[in-house]
Amino acid sequence: MTAITAASKDLASCHLCYKLAPATEHHCPRCGSTMHLRKTASIQRTLALLITASILYIPANVLPIMITDQLGSAEPSTILGGVVLLIELGSAPIAAIIFIASVMVPLSKLFALFYLCWCVEKQAKTSNQQNTAMFRMAEFVGKWSMIDVFVVAILVALVNLGGLMAIRPGTAALAFAGVVIVTMVAAESFDPRLMWDQTEENNE
Amino acid sequence: MKQTNNNDSVNKQSFLVACPSCDLLADTSHLKHGETANCARCDHFLCQYKDDGIARSLSYSLSALVLLALACSFPFLSFKASGLESVMTLPQTALRLYDYGMTELSILVAAFILVIPLVILLLLLAICIPLYNNTPNPMLVKTGRMVFTLQHWAMAEVFLIGVIVSLVKIASMATVVLGISFWAYAGFTICFTLALSNLDRVQCWNAIEHLTAEPSS
Ligand SMILES: [Zn+2]
Repeated sequence: MTAITAASKDLASCHLCYKLAPATEHHCPRCGSTMHLRKTASIQRTLALLITASILYIPANVLPIMITDQLGSAEPSTILGGVVLLIELGSAPIAAIIFIASVMVPLSKLFALFYLCWCVEKQAKTSNQQNTAMFRMAEFVGKWSMIDVFVVAILVALVNLGGLMAIRPGTAALAFAGVVIVTMVAAESFDPRLMWDQTEENNE
Repeated sequence: MKQTNNNDSVNKQSFLVACPSCDLLADTSHLKHGETANCARCDHFLCQYKDDGIARSLSYSLSALVLLALACSFPFLSFKASGLESVMTLPQTALRLYDYGMTELSILVAAFILVIPLVILLLLLAICIPLYNNTPNPMLVKTGRMVFTLQHWAMAEVFLIGVIVSLVKIASMATVVLGISFWAYAGFTICFTLALSNLDRVQCWNAIEHLTAEPSS
């Protein structure tokens, strides 16, 4: 079974408005966005962004994400420290949410995108259905990692009782926000159609 | 409400969509009210046809705008411990970060939870009103491009979950009271999500094209 794709008909699809136009067009005839048959330098761009995100992930986890000032003593806490504290406080479900959103999701997203880039580069024989599902997951979870940054922002704004108790933001919050944003851009610059293009070639 | 099925070849081709995820071509012209089209090969969601999509999006945008205005004008949460109380408003979520010298982070937070959603709502009104009234507007194409570019970057729903997590995190330390703004923001998040999901990309762009096309073509 040969699939009838837009590319096989020499048509490019506008990434913004989904208009189909001849692959030779540079701008979408309907919305004016720049048009490409496939995203330019998709793998290289995605990889560069993934490496940036991986580097940012280190300060995000090593530095404190917030500092609690209580009766004159300052207590910094990291992302993982916060999770441990929550477990000690007995709120395991919330600890799980924070752990999933701030540790598992960004890490698995980085690994998934690295893996997909590798598959496209090496033309690995893998299931396109599975890889597409993996990519869609990585794309979907993107912004949910921001939960932890928002929690810090809320606690900083809310807990402010003068000398008695206050919460200050830590540098890790900015680094972590950077990880989330850079991985979101990385997912956007990856072109999942590249995975399907190869099966077409392999079948022929 | 304007229908596109009485139109000829220009719109016939617009019903043909290439899956953004695997490039397979799909014909979406058979869709009836409320039906969705998914890619036959990779199951990617392509579009949903609704006769009244524009009207729905318009009414949800208006409700969301009112709720967002309410959310910004009342206390969001208050925190009481040892006889002391601190109250925060929604804009303070970003402003306090600025006070602590984290300018970049405060700009990001303000953008994700307030500014981008607000801009999207205004752009939605700028699209839906002309489409609903069938009046051509020279700004439609530009507005449409901005809405579909910005929509990934609105994080109202993520913020709402963040609020719930924060509540649980500090509930043991002190008494936390939910303000009017919290409920307004929760309502805003629902209306905002519905406003965006009712504006189908394929249908919206076909309508924009139909409205801005010159009579000769
Ligand atoms: Zn597909």
